[in-house]
Amino acid sequence: MTHNNSGNSDELRALRSAVRAAMAKYSPETQVRDLMAAETGFDPVVWKQLAVLGLVGLLIGEEYGGAGAGPIAMGIAMEEMGGALLVSPFLSTAVLVPRLLAATADEAERAAMLPKIAAGELIATAAFAEQRSARPPVTIATTATADGEGWSIAGEKHFVLDGNAAAVIYVLARAEGGPAVFAVDADAAGLDVKSLATVDQTRKQCRVRFADTPARLIGQLGTGMEVFEAALDACAVAFISEQAGAARRAVEMATEYAKTRYQFGRAIGSFQAVKHMCADMLLEAESALSAARFIAKQFADHAPSRIADLALAQAYCADAFVFVAATNIQVHGGIGFTWEHPAHLYLRRARSSAQLLGSPSWHRERYMQEIGGTT
Amino acid sequence: MHAEVQDWLAANWSPDIDLAQWAHAVFEAGWSAPSWEPEWYGRALTAAQSRLVTDEFTAIGAPGCGHDRENFFACTVHDVGTVEQKRRLLPPTLHGPTQTQWCLLYSEPGAGSDLAGLRTRAERDGDDWVINGQKVWTSFAAIAEYGLLVARTDWDVPKHKGLSFFVLPMRQTAVEVRPIHQITGESEFNEVFLTDARVPGNNLLGEVNAGWSVLQIALGHERRFMSGRGFASKENKVLEPDQDDDLVELARATGGLGDPYIRQQIARIEALAAVNRWNTQRAKDTTDSNEAATLLGLGKIAMSRILHETARAKTEIIGAEAMLAGPDNPVGDGVTFQAFNAYLTSIGGGTDQIQRNIIGERILGLPKEPEPYRHTPFRDLPH
Repeated sequence: MTHNNSGNSDELRALRSAVRAAMAKYSPETQVRDLMAAETGFDPVVWKQLAVLGLVGLLIGEEYGGAGAGPIAMGIAMEEMGGALLVSPFLSTAVLVPRLLAATADEAERAAMLPKIAAGELIATAAFAEQRSARPPVTIATTATADGEGWSIAGEKHFVLDGNAAAVIYVLARAEGGPAVFAVDADAAGLDVKSLATVDQTRKQCRVRFADTPARLIGQLGTGMEVFEAALDACAVAFISEQAGAARRAVEMATEYAKTRYQFGRAIGSFQAVKHMCADMLLEAESALSAARFIAKQFADHAPSRIADLALAQAYCADAFVFVAATNIQVHGGIGFTWEHPAHLYLRRARSSAQLLGSPSWHRERYMQEIGGTT
Repeated sequence: MHAEVQDWLAANWSPDIDLAQWAHAVFEAGWSAPSWEPEWYGRALTAAQSRLVTDEFTAIGAPGCGHDRENFFACTVHDVGTVEQKRRLLPPTLHGPTQTQWCLLYSEPGAGSDLAGLRTRAERDGDDWVINGQKVWTSFAAIAEYGLLVARTDWDVPKHKGLSFFVLPMRQTAVEVRPIHQITGESEFNEVFLTDARVPGNNLLGEVNAGWSVLQIALGHERRFMSGRGFASKENKVLEPDQDDDLVELARATGGLGDPYIRQQIARIEALAAVNRWNTQRAKDTTDSNEAATLLGLGKIAMSRILHETARAKTEIIGAEAMLAGPDNPVGDGVTFQAFNAYLTSIGGGTDQIQRNIIGERILGLPKEPEPYRHTPFRDLPH
């Protein structure tokens, strides 16, 4: 499967159909709920299938066994995965880590790891946040010390995606030569991974402690912050597509319910109070889709304004998804307040997604700084 | 085609040409409404080609093209009129600047969102029709030659079935035009009082009591034009917010740019505006007509929100200055104007609430409200 970067091509349509079919097969609600209850949220059989379909390696270069696709194709895949609330380490392993390794320009590490990721044989993640913020810290507390040929990491990382499923964790740590990316193997000494109780059980997060844990330096010393910023931005391009796709699905749920739920002798969707909620949901979800697709194109084209645009889009898509998922529950009324109904799963995903790569207000402030809106 | 219009313009247009002479030349050459049939003064071009012709005219500042898009009066006569009506009514309107020769007499004080509930009366008197009633929100009423009028011709059938569509000669003493003093202080719109106004029988457009369907055709032209303007990059007066809405500079000038709350508000507004551009871009780019129609349908409520929210954010940025008006206080005056003028979009051309009904019903496929008076004669409706 190869993918170009143009908009409406047949290949992209085929990709969407393929992912949609895969989600219908591998991520029905029952599967989502089973994996929510599981600690690692990871079905190896499904993961292998996603790899066979070329999805895990979508962003990975053909020289490493991937599809060599760009942000537009990835956006389409993420829309569909978001709609299905796919529970998997996709965001960490298939999006964040390939983008991170690309940013490090560490050829040896890419050659060693990317083929395994593309083949579905390796789960990997990245650890950057510390303490209370989901963004990389301004001052990194986690340290890396040279230790013979290798390095030794000490410190604690928070909100680490799929930390308990990953065989490799790429860690942002501060060395004497400046911040850098270090690789830590899951079986390394002094590594302690603790699963976090997350509101969104479809997305697993961990707290990771390093007590003089052996590590390998990836890329250059002193480049760690820039590498992570670039990787997180590239990851966000895909991430907002996931939010938009999930929001669109929540609109469909609400609309379908409003057509079939009868009260006072009529479908509740015939009441303007309900109809207008659905109209507002559609505006938000379609706007989020437009934003996600526009940003994917901006990144594919390396447009100069892409960072400012991304900041606006991240804030918008996060808020839009929360609004749509929350309003979906209101449209459903009592049944939407039950655990058995899937509406709350979308709100949980939305609320978590609105923090994961930075909060909407953080992105808005970033936008202001990007456009020179300083006093 | 491109070369032909360019050559023709090069041979005929000059900026100091007499405009009446120019209009006649444009008409004779078939450029007034290029997508119409040659027998109806056009050149049988496609809509897209016609748009390109307009672009060529616009590029050199030459007026007179684009009647097949902008002149709803002409478009409606073209679609619905008899041969006699088209021969009589089209040439004069195609000679003039668009919009100033005609006006729309649809809304009434008692018939806004529920337009089909209008009560202006049309009664036969010999060959003529005699009109009595009141219309409202009419632009260009004072300078229009004709008004496109919907009036009730049968009170004993359900409301949609007793309406007829007329071309009303505006220049008669029985037509009184009074400007409306709007909340902004401006007067773009008028009330039109019709007291025994007369319409010649041959100015009935379509059949008697088929006015609702003629109106749908006329409104279709209007909507297409309005949405086209929103989607065109050059003519962005209708669905694009003011280009000089620079909130950052306003906040910088008024000392609020360091306030984190204000910064958040500014970024929120800029996101709304950006997303609207991205929706518009997506609608343009897609080959899926459903997708385009969906985005088009959402555009109006999106723009309402942008305009109201921009005015709200500006109000917060300028603070107490928002209490002041007049030429001595241009900043406060301008912000209040924007806050009030935003209703032009959220009420005019169908309220946001009606638009949400349309989105719910036509895009999402939600069921309509029950219509208890669907079969009730108009005369018996409560009012």
